[in-house]
Amino acid sequence: MRIIVMQLCFLFVLASVMWAGSAPEQFFPYPHQKYTLPNGLKVIMIPIQGSGLVAYYSVVRTGSRDEWEPGKSGFAHFFEHMMFRGTKKYPSEKYNELVTKMGADANAYTTDDYTCYYMVVPGENLEQVIDLESDRFQNLAYEESAFRTEAGAVYGEYRKNRTSPWSIAEEEMMNLAFTRHTYKHTTIGFEADIRNMPNMYDYSKSFFNRYYRPDNVVLLVVGDFNVNQTKKWIAQYYGNWKKGYTPPKIKPEPPQGKERQKVVHYPGRTLPIIWIAYKGAAFNPTEKMVVSAYLLGNLAFGENSEIYKKLVIREQKVQFISPEFGFNRDPKLYNIYTMVKDENDIPYVMSEIDKTVKAFQTNLVDNQQLENIKKRLRYSFLMNLDTPDHIASRLARIVALTGDIEAVNQLYSTMDKITPEDIRAAAQQFLQKKKRTVITVKGEK
Amino acid sequence: MKRLSFFIGILLMAFMIQSCQQQKQSHLVLLPVKEDPTISFRILFTVGSQNDPAGKEGLAALTASLLTKEATQKHSYEQILELLYPMAASVSSQVDKEMTVIYGRTHKDNLNDYYSLLKEILLEPKFDEADFKRVKDDFLNYVQRTIRYAQDEELGKEVLSEFIFEGTPYEHLEEGHVSSLESITLNDVKQFYKEHYTRANLLIGLGGGFDDSFARQVEQDFQVLPVGKKETPAVKVKPIDGMQVKIVEKDANATAISFGYPIDVLRGSRDFYALAIATSWLGEHRNAASHLYQVIREARGLNYGDYAYIEHFPRGYARQFPPPNVARHHQIFQIWIRPVPNDARLFAFRAALRELQKIVDNGLSKKDFELTRQFLKNYILHYAPTTMMKLGYALDDKFYGITEGHWKLYRKMLDELTVDDVNAAIRKYWQYQNIKAVFITNEAEELKSALVNNTPSLITYRSSKPAAILAEDREIAKYPLHVAPEHVSIVKVDKVFQ
Repeated sequence: MRIIVMQLCFLFVLASVMWAGSAPEQFFPYPHQKYTLPNGLKVIMIPIQGSGLVAYYSVVRTGSRDEWEPGKSGFAHFFEHMMFRGTKKYPSEKYNELVTKMGADANAYTTDDYTCYYMVVPGENLEQVIDLESDRFQNLAYEESAFRTEAGAVYGEYRKNRTSPWSIAEEEMMNLAFTRHTYKHTTIGFEADIRNMPNMYDYSKSFFNRYYRPDNVVLLVVGDFNVNQTKKWIAQYYGNWKKGYTPPKIKPEPPQGKERQKVVHYPGRTLPIIWIAYKGAAFNPTEKMVVSAYLLGNLAFGENSEIYKKLVIREQKVQFISPEFGFNRDPKLYNIYTMVKDENDIPYVMSEIDKTVKAFQTNLVDNQQLENIKKRLRYSFLMNLDTPDHIASRLARIVALTGDIEAVNQLYSTMDKITPEDIRAAAQQFLQKKKRTVITVKGEK
Repeated sequence: MKRLSFFIGILLMAFMIQSCQQQKQSHLVLLPVKEDPTISFRILFTVGSQNDPAGKEGLAALTASLLTKEATQKHSYEQILELLYPMAASVSSQVDKEMTVIYGRTHKDNLNDYYSLLKEILLEPKFDEADFKRVKDDFLNYVQRTIRYAQDEELGKEVLSEFIFEGTPYEHLEEGHVSSLESITLNDVKQFYKEHYTRANLLIGLGGGFDDSFARQVEQDFQVLPVGKKETPAVKVKPIDGMQVKIVEKDANATAISFGYPIDVLRGSRDFYALAIATSWLGEHRNAASHLYQVIREARGLNYGDYAYIEHFPRGYARQFPPPNVARHHQIFQIWIRPVPNDARLFAFRAALRELQKIVDNGLSKKDFELTRQFLKNYILHYAPTTMMKLGYALDDKFYGITEGHWKLYRKMLDELTVDDVNAAIRKYWQYQNIKAVFITNEAEELKSALVNNTPSLITYRSSKPAAILAEDREIAKYPLHVAPEHVSIVKVDKVFQ
């Protein structure tokens, strides 16, 4: 019963803001408040009364990007595991018991640019959540034996992922596409570094001291809660947390001047994979070329693109083709993935991708197609803002990259202004052969 | 505001129930939510892979997939993608043993255009030869390559399912086997559609911001389907005699393990909810506080997680909560041990088995019962937070005959059940002697030998461990396994699902 009530309130707000036309100044539909504590902790509150549940997200603006020291790849992810190992006040058994009593949907994940801890709980548990989360972020304490044990679980996670040819492709891609920047390694890290993790106990403490600081964290609170009371709790529980974020010493990636290619062997059976990655730009929601690139990926290689219709549907040369022109803190990669049905067709598929790139660099995209993709992205974003958890999870990356949710409004506002000429300019700027890396994965015959 | 919303909720709930009662004789399952700016569709047919003809395994899944990925009489598949694109909408399919559901969601701005396409997709398929070839190729690739080589955990679970349901219509992987898929023709698909996409099998699920007249129109539109008749093949699951093991041998650097047995308890019965409490304590999916996770991962760091189930939970590697509309009349109790180092495979298996024995022999403590009950009272709120998910569960309620609704009943049962009820259900449905187990691993003969000889399997750690853990390890390492040599089979991975 209660959950029905919860959803209704969300939908009521959404019902009044849905549109298919242009994005207004304030595209993000929910009223929200944001402020910063004296210690630098940013707080974003999106109260929706009567919803029943609260999603409480702690977004640490550190991901595998911040692992700049040799031999320490994968540490942000490993550290995410350690954050569940307890404190003096709440040892892990006690922590588990309290989280269990709340019936929380609680977990965490690590990405290239950020680490996110979340709990979704009934609203009456919010103070308990703030107490638990603030405590572990300030007072994490674990023995070396627990640290070593958790390293085993991380290695287990690596092993479970390792059977996929995509894991192998990703490792190779990052390693080849980047020479100096920390995007060179995947989020889970190099295997040698993972194997060595049990010996990194002392380093783990320095990692915590450097990055788990209030001036590197954003709290995102969405759902049914009292704003004033929650502000008091946040001040009370996080107020003494000492600032002191130490930025990582990340070397910028030098411009790529020549295409890089590698053929990788997968020790199982797979259709050949082609992964083409062009050097992209850092996320900036007001920068037209960045937003144009995002649209370009979908227009040129998405499900409604000409190449998809030709290679997937009409000629059936590939099982799928899809783009991922994502958002990153530093310039990363604009990716095109495909799986080729017959190895002999790899040159043909590559030539079709090149032809598509050339066409987008030369011709102007049809205006209606451009409007369709904008419409799709607006519908897609808004239709998925239907629970506290969905809202928070949709915002987490943008909050991590910019420290704010204003970027959502900026992004859709910029998107509105993108013209076919901008799309062509983005294709010319980003889709240059000399700036790309191509990984081809071939399996056993 | 909170109070007002609550009353709105109650009123709507009452309306929902009324609507369903009024439509008792119809095919409609309605979940109207007036304020919802979207409309969710779940068009369900009570037909699934159990209805695949012999030698044509995979036909039900291939038929549903083709419908959602091919042309209609009016539009090519390319045109359909083009029309759906600006709506940010899609039409998808899911096929399980007894259910096929075609589902999608649209904003109300696009309702007419979306529904018009959905109707065409379901009622006026083209059965295009080229589209059929494309979809069949995708299926073959999944069975020949992806599940065999790239998804060891899912492979283990699906091999276990085939092992437990062998000799029944439930036996085969929903996507079929290589040889059966190769034999399926477009005519087979047409015939299957004609026989099973009928009003006898139909349930139309609508959720969100639609009105009554729209629901009536949808029901009217689907009257063009033939009346048909319900065909429910008999599924007689063979009891398991002792411990039986299947080892799938591949060049794996870690071992995925699944084991279990059939259980005769279904959602809706009191025992189901009692057993759900015990299952949650033993191994709630992806929950760090549950017992198996604590023993195998938290204390020993052997893997990423360890869970237990009494209902089918497909693709658990990618989900926090199970999907609706995989309802079945035959379920298995299952323990899933995520990949462990090969040299710890027997130890991890013994550890899980020993924990199962402990709960069967000793039952759940009053303290654990109370804690788990408290946990579930809130945790079950996360299973169906959206209209689409609620609608799925409402359809499942029809299947299981749960008139008051599964989630409402679940909460009621959490209030009513006692620790004695839970322990009685454990004694009635769980045991640890007659089990089928699957290992996805390398060096299969070595494992077979260790299993049949009951070889102790002590492991070593790279870090110091508390004395209590080491003492328990010695017990786990010699936990008795009673496996007859004839009860261990080894199959090479490229022969699985052949």
